[in-house]
Amino acid sequence: MATASFAAPSRGSAGAGALYVYGIAPAGVRAPRAGGVDGAAVRLLTSSGLSAAVSAAPARVRARRRDLLAHQTVLGELARQAPVLPMRFAVLAGDEGTLVAYLREQRLHFEAQLHRIRGCVEMNVKGVTVPGCFEDLVHRDAKLRELARRTRRRPDYDANVRLGEALARAVTREGRRAAQEVRSRLVPLARRTAQGEVDDTVVLSASFLVPADAEHRFRRTVEEQARRHGARIALSLTGPLPCYSFVDAPTTAAPALTGG
Amino acid sequence: MTVVTPSPYADELACVPRAGTLYDVLDLILDRGMVIDVFVRVSLVGIEIIKIDARIVVASVDTYLRFAEACNRLDLERTSRSKTVPELFGGGGAVGRTVAKAGARKAGRSLGDKVRDVLGTEGHRDDRDAEDTGYAEDAEDHARDGLDEEEHAYEESPRPQRRRRPEEGRRRPAGTSGERSRDRDDDRDRPRARRRSED
Repeated sequence: MATASFAAPSRGSAGAGALYVYGIAPAGVRAPRAGGVDGAAVRLLTSSGLSAAVSAAPARVRARRRDLLAHQTVLGELARQAPVLPMRFAVLAGDEGTLVAYLREQRLHFEAQLHRIRGCVEMNVKGVTVPGCFEDLVHRDAKLRELARRTRRRPDYDANVRLGEALARAVTREGRRAAQEVRSRLVPLARRTAQGEVDDTVVLSASFLVPADAEHRFRRTVEEQARRHGARIALSLTGPLPCYSFVDAPTTAAPALTGG
Repeated sequence: MTVVTPSPYADELACVPRAGTLYDVLDLILDRGMVIDVFVRVSLVGIEIIKIDARIVVASVDTYLRFAEACNRLDLERTSRSKTVPELFGGGGAVGRTVAKAGARKAGRSLGDKVRDVLGTEGHRDDRDAEDTGYAEDAEDHARDGLDEEEHAYEESPRPQRRRRPEEGRRRPAGTSGERSRDRDDDRDRPRARRRSED
């Protein structure tokens, strides 16, 4: 939606009074004590039973490590107190009035969203292929074995590249199979699952909406799976996280706001 | 926020999941989360490009050659005992390292690491591009602090030839695929692969 603030997108900044928005929580949460993006103090704007955590928008938003961490930390502090709807990094509201009006207008939507994630955390699991077990691969795959023999008889650059490529494909295939198995063990422990981007190396990337009281079990299961499939896939687990992957913005077309 | 679970198995079986880092959740912070259409989402120049780049980094001829080399050292006719890759690279000297460990370390080369690597490269290309270098510089500061226990993982960079700082010498990059376990092997194996490639 075009708003007045889009007038100067190249500068990556909004006008005076613009607010960096971290997330929305039920009214009653304490303001996070952690510093916000660009070191700004974080405060709560409360309206209609909802509180938005905001800070003065920096002159320029950049994806700096400390700012990404600040965003994450503020949300983490809120999420430990109550369900919170996390904003994506770098979302700005034009001014206080706009934000307060929006909270009032979309109260029902936000409350429903909060209800869906209440008592839950997001657990993110990623898995990357492990280039090991070559001997195993070669012995199980006749084609690969033949390629390896041929390469050994006539070792040249092209043959080696072909062999290596075939091995890489096999490693990816094994990793994907392991990812499938890991996923099938984790899905039943989660209320919802959100798939992330995968490629030939990152073969598993998924977020799981897990009830807080099942977090321990989830963690144990990931560890178990990591041990079982460690030769084919290396898993990393991050969480509990604010529920980034399980919140939806209001779908209604944005009403023509007064000014920007 | 990320919670680190110290694993009791860390030493005997290193294939337990490593706790995530900021890099592991970069995709969530930047791509997920709510975006409200009446608000403004500041465009973060460079980030989208970085993500595409990060995927391209992975597959390379260099990787293939090293896989092939590992395979060429195998006894193709023998059926039993699976050798671990670090053993293959380290001869008999891979004491206390298992392939699982290599695997666990390799986890560090997931999305975040690739992003960092690409960011670093971007930064190298144009130091004035704030969106790119801002993050990379920060990451460097962070690495220098030595606060991040996962630091070693970042150094297993897919493109170790770029942006190496001298102080990283104590832990040299372990190669594209993380299968290599010992620094000295790096010196020994790489030139060999290269020579072969020049034949």
